[in-house]
Amino acid sequence: MLKAVTAYWQNWVDRRVPRDDTRVFGQKNIFILPSAAGVVFGLLLLVMLLTGINYQNSLIYLLTFLLGTVFVAAMHQTHRNLTGLQITLVKAGEGFAGDAIPFVFRASAPNHDALAITLSHDQTRVDQQHVLAGKPLDMQVLVPSRARGYLVPTRIRVETRFPFGLLVAWSWLRPASAGLVYPRPIAAPEVGSSVVDDGEVDETRETEGQDHADLRPWRQGDMSQRVLWKRFARTGDMVIADWEGEQGSPHWLDYDAFSGVDRELRLSYLTSLVIARANGNAAFGLRLPGQTIEPDNGQLHVQRCLRALATCGLERPREATVAAYGSRTGEPAAAVAQPGESV
Amino acid sequence: MKRATRGALTGADSSLIQVPGRALAWLIASFAVLLAPQWDRLPVWLLVACVVLAGWRWLAQTGRLRLPGRWLRSGLMLTLVAVYVATVQGRFSVDTAASFFVLAVGLKWLETRSNRDFYVLFFILTYLATVNFLFRQGIFWTLLNLAGVVFLLIGLQVANAPSAPGAIRAGWKRLGMMLLKTLPVVVLLFVFFPRMAPLWSVPLVSGEARTGISDAMTPGDISSLAQSSERAFRASFGGEIPPPRLRYWRGLILDSFDGETWSQRQPEPFRRPGRVANDGGIGTLANDEYDVLLEPTDQRWAFALDDSVAVSDNVYLNEDQLFRFRRPADSAVRYRLAFESGAGGQRTQNPAPGPLGRADRYRYLQLPSSGNPRARVLADELAAAAPSAEVLISGLLRRFREQEYYYTLRPPAMPDNGIDDLLFDSRRGFCAHYAGAMTFVLRAAGIPARVVVGYQGGETGAGGDYLIVRQYDAHAWVEAWLPDRGWVRFDPTAAIAPSRIESGLREAVAGEGSFLENNWASPQKYGDMALVQWASLQVDRLNYQWQRWVVGYQGQSQMDLMSRLPGGFGLRELGYLTAGLIGVALLVAGLLAAWQHRGPVGRDPWMAAVGRWHRLCERAGVPVRQGETPDQLALRLERARPDVASSAQAFARLVNNHYYGPPAGPEAAGDLTRMKRLLVTLRRQLNRQPTQTEVTGADNRA
Repeated sequence: MLKAVTAYWQNWVDRRVPRDDTRVFGQKNIFILPSAAGVVFGLLLLVMLLTGINYQNSLIYLLTFLLGTVFVAAMHQTHRNLTGLQITLVKAGEGFAGDAIPFVFRASAPNHDALAITLSHDQTRVDQQHVLAGKPLDMQVLVPSRARGYLVPTRIRVETRFPFGLLVAWSWLRPASAGLVYPRPIAAPEVGSSVVDDGEVDETRETEGQDHADLRPWRQGDMSQRVLWKRFARTGDMVIADWEGEQGSPHWLDYDAFSGVDRELRLSYLTSLVIARANGNAAFGLRLPGQTIEPDNGQLHVQRCLRALATCGLERPREATVAAYGSRTGEPAAAVAQPGESV
Repeated sequence: MKRATRGALTGADSSLIQVPGRALAWLIASFAVLLAPQWDRLPVWLLVACVVLAGWRWLAQTGRLRLPGRWLRSGLMLTLVAVYVATVQGRFSVDTAASFFVLAVGLKWLETRSNRDFYVLFFILTYLATVNFLFRQGIFWTLLNLAGVVFLLIGLQVANAPSAPGAIRAGWKRLGMMLLKTLPVVVLLFVFFPRMAPLWSVPLVSGEARTGISDAMTPGDISSLAQSSERAFRASFGGEIPPPRLRYWRGLILDSFDGETWSQRQPEPFRRPGRVANDGGIGTLANDEYDVLLEPTDQRWAFALDDSVAVSDNVYLNEDQLFRFRRPADSAVRYRLAFESGAGGQRTQNPAPGPLGRADRYRYLQLPSSGNPRARVLADELAAAAPSAEVLISGLLRRFREQEYYYTLRPPAMPDNGIDDLLFDSRRGFCAHYAGAMTFVLRAAGIPARVVVGYQGGETGAGGDYLIVRQYDAHAWVEAWLPDRGWVRFDPTAAIAPSRIESGLREAVAGEGSFLENNWASPQKYGDMALVQWASLQVDRLNYQWQRWVVGYQGQSQMDLMSRLPGGFGLRELGYLTAGLIGVALLVAGLLAAWQHRGPVGRDPWMAAVGRWHRLCERAGVPVRQGETPDQLALRLERARPDVASSAQAFARLVNNHYYGPPAGPEAAGDLTRMKRLLVTLRRQLNRQPTQTEVTGADNRA
């Protein structure tokens, strides 16, 4: 029962607040209720009224009515504080899985100040901001990410309690544009790329670079060339050597190199390799199922690779197909004027 | 309220304090203002404690002091509560309740750390304002109290936007506008909200002694009362204000004398306080009516002129022909009376008095068995010489008038046999002395007599339409029973000092200069300074009107007002009316808001400018395509009309800057104006007859 009500409510709210990168707050999408303090204030007014009645005191009546109308006026002010405020997603952030992804919103208030606005998403919240009329303001909300892929925040709550904190007016931002979450980098077992000529990895480097090598136990997916067989013969432990020098070569990073490994793990390996290459400013190429990025180096290339890794095998989230609640058809001019990023 | 707001703090345990300092300052200011109306009711130690506790909280806010820890706080609380219990000593009254409330507010200061505490403090301070109205209803106190409430609201505003720019934060203007807009609704609610009878009976009797007459009279009581210029009551008359010699306001009768003190033999029967509306305003005063606004006395005595009957419901006439309230006058009470025999109240005798009953006869002839022998001898002499009671009384009054008796506020000490001393030796006394002595002599001569205590006289208020009666107008006189006329008033003071009756106490004691001699602050003392007198009367008039029309606007006055509306309103209709009123007010406010905010999209001036630019493009033959960037559109417009290239580019750049650029700094302030100017230029340029551009325009469409 409760579930059905909640679902209905969510659905209703989603229709009222369709996904869009730009939201102008108005009567259709602002919600307002008394806050806890507001409820207590109401009770206090009741007690004051009782006092006035019992002591036949006109002035207490007067004070009660005064504060009562102040409460109603505060309702209008709190509502009006959000009304007309326009919040646009200017930058959907990118980051690694597990990190908080920054989403940057620009708030502007064309007609009147919007004071004491807070943005929050789940546990994270942005401190109170004041959007003064004609002075747009950027606010950054951190959205926690769990898995790689497209990140569309479900709802970002925009809230104000101004002026008295007796009422809380809120609405939600439901951006249509997605942020990107790169796979969480996991140190990859060293493998040769299947694209690369095997001869390039010569045996001599094994001994040459031994003191620069990272030694670690073997794990599934490690190539047999990397195993220090001499040590295996001596101790019986399979130990893998990761050489630093290797990362300087313009290798291909290949999805298929980690055969038998779970896809997400492979992508995490590749991500860590991409980061390692990027740190060394080395040129590299990336081969993913259905996508090949030619070897290159530089910031843009790295970003391109990371994005490819983030979205590998994923569909772009569908555009909001539900029509905006109460929206009229045939407003192409307005649609064009919307400065939101068309995705 | 768990959402914390930041406060700039440097205190030792400042991490615990979340309340912004400026907001706290407003609350402390409000506390100071709201405490003021209580200053004379609260014990001094409590006032000091409040100041110290609030000051401590403020020092903690600024970081100069630590807030007490839990143990210290509990210790403080226990100590103060113990002091409170010790001072109250089990007496429970509204006063003690109010001081406990104030103590609680004071202690709360030290606990105000979080935002939740802040709101708790806000609520209790609001209720403190309410409590203040129970005790103070004058117009200036009201304004002060409301100022306290406004401070509270400002404190809330500051607490809710602590980081906002200064002028916006406190929001005087915003709050002022809000209050101004709500004012009409407040007034309508005040007028139309149905005034119900009390839901349960709550006597507001305070434990504190009030200035005023009491039910026992030792000579000397009234003369100490004569040092007070506090207001006792004010009276308005439908007709002419009666002349001074008829202004005898009867309050209570003292019938028992123990040789020193006159008192009531039996206390007045106890009655439960009635659940009645304590108001007596019922429309305009008829010609023979008058209404009295009595300051709180905590007693049931209602003062009335002779020959009155009750008009309002809150007073009734008791067996002694005195008016009594149905519940003690714990706050200012208004009641209405009428002269039984028509305007003016000239009649001073009952038309057909029945014979005095035996019990009453005994009661009014009672005297102590011994004492004051010379007075008793005088009574015997007078009785022997006079054929009737009337002759005897006039003889006694003649004695007072013709012999050397002095009316004085500084009577000598009269130890034993005070009446003998007064009548034969010192011959100096105050009204209470003479009234007591005369009653004694009459009783000794066998004439039933009693002392009546009340007020005599009164000062005409500003505008000349009402009387102000003050405590120094307190008076005592005599009523004697004459078989054919009933109880008749005799006033020895009138025989000794006629000016007391005709002009008031000030004139009567002008010679000895004892008028309000210990009361330097009273404006009445300076009655001979015209300006002081004028100002004090004007203030009194303002307060009187306020009390009559605003404070005294209760059930009956409301019903009276409503009955003048067409259709005859009852309480029930009033309820409907109020509900409807609230509904309509909410609806209107809602509609207004809806109308103001309709189509918020179109109201963005940038959006509007872009819309105009689109229409210009369309008119120039460049249809706007969906999903096109401003640059692309400008490019196509350029191709169609090369002559507007620079304007179009500039415009597109401004649009891009605004929507996609970094947040606008101060340098972008003029962008909107620039855009509008560009639009004007564009329109002018496009209106110029295009020359050879039409071909390219058509080409562009392909």
